[in-house]
Amino acid sequence: MSSQELIAKRKKNLRICLVASAGGHISQLLRLAESWKGYDSFYVTTTQVVGEKLQQHGRVYVVGECNRQHPIRVVKVLLRCIRTVCREGPDVVISTGAAAGCIVCFLGKIVGAKVIWIDSITNVERISLSGRMVRYMADLFLVQWAELAEQYKNVEYVGAVI
Amino acid sequence: MIFLTVGTQFPFDRLVKAVDDAFNDGLINEEVFAQIGETSYRPRNFESVASVGKKLFDKYVKESSSIISHAGMGTITMALDNHKPLLAMPRLKKHGEVVNNHQVAIAKKFEELGHILVAYQEKDLPEKVKKLKGFVPRPRENQAKAVAARISEFLYKISTSEQRLCCRNIDKAFIKSKNG
Repeated sequence: MSSQELIAKRKKNLRICLVASAGGHISQLLRLAESWKGYDSFYVTTTQVVGEKLQQHGRVYVVGECNRQHPIRVVKVLLRCIRTVCREGPDVVISTGAAAGCIVCFLGKIVGAKVIWIDSITNVERISLSGRMVRYMADLFLVQWAELAEQYKNVEYVGAVI
Repeated sequence: MIFLTVGTQFPFDRLVKAVDDAFNDGLINEEVFAQIGETSYRPRNFESVASVGKKLFDKYVKESSSIISHAGMGTITMALDNHKPLLAMPRLKKHGEVVNNHQVAIAKKFEELGHILVAYQEKDLPEKVKKLKGFVPRPRENQAKAVAARISEFLYKISTSEQRLCCRNIDKAFIKSKNG
């Protein structure tokens, strides 16, 4: 086995959960696709339409849309997320938000996964609500505006994806 | 052709009417095509449709000389990626156009950086429409590569961490194969 093969094998052995809501969140996440090339990855998203498009990139789980205004839907989505996380047992969760991303990050943390959060570029003046909740357990927390990195602790700014 | 687009989620009467009025006042001297979603106001001076498919949307963006839209991140991204001059009007919560005022902050930020023009209210629109034709948006440097590199580095560190038992097994196989 060459050292390159070793790296490839190590990558294949790390299971990455990529989770983002349909729309701007998933399109921002996909701009980073290069970073998990070679890893064993799967997607979690919120709508069937986006789910079908993602199928060309790998395994996809559709958990449905939810937000704070619809508590019953949140429970439904939560159950689907639990099922997905239990089935896949990810080693890393990467998310750009929003609510579903937040839920999967929490669940991932419970099963021992590392959490990477990239807060959406639309959060200019402060971090998103989901982001603020995930911040306390994220292993890598990236924001897309330099000012936000100064405002919060343990938050990193490397650049914006758009 | 100017492409006017407001997205599909909520109506945006203020913008469609303001552009229609500007056209009426002779401030726009080219064709306008409008995608107005659930907006109830019907423009009198140009053609409008409720929604267009993704393919057609891309086509309108590519063929337009400039774009007028709400300050949604999707449209801003699309305009920047295609190097089109964009005049954006942020949707406001008080008019029931959106659930919060995040579009104002986004518009301000991208305006400051010279990427787009912004009309914060209907009365600002005529003046901004006049500027749109000659407006050269500052191209946005794509930093996605840098962010992806940061994530790559982090993932690589995890994949090589000693806590990962399975990796140690791979590594053992590696050492074994090296030692013959």
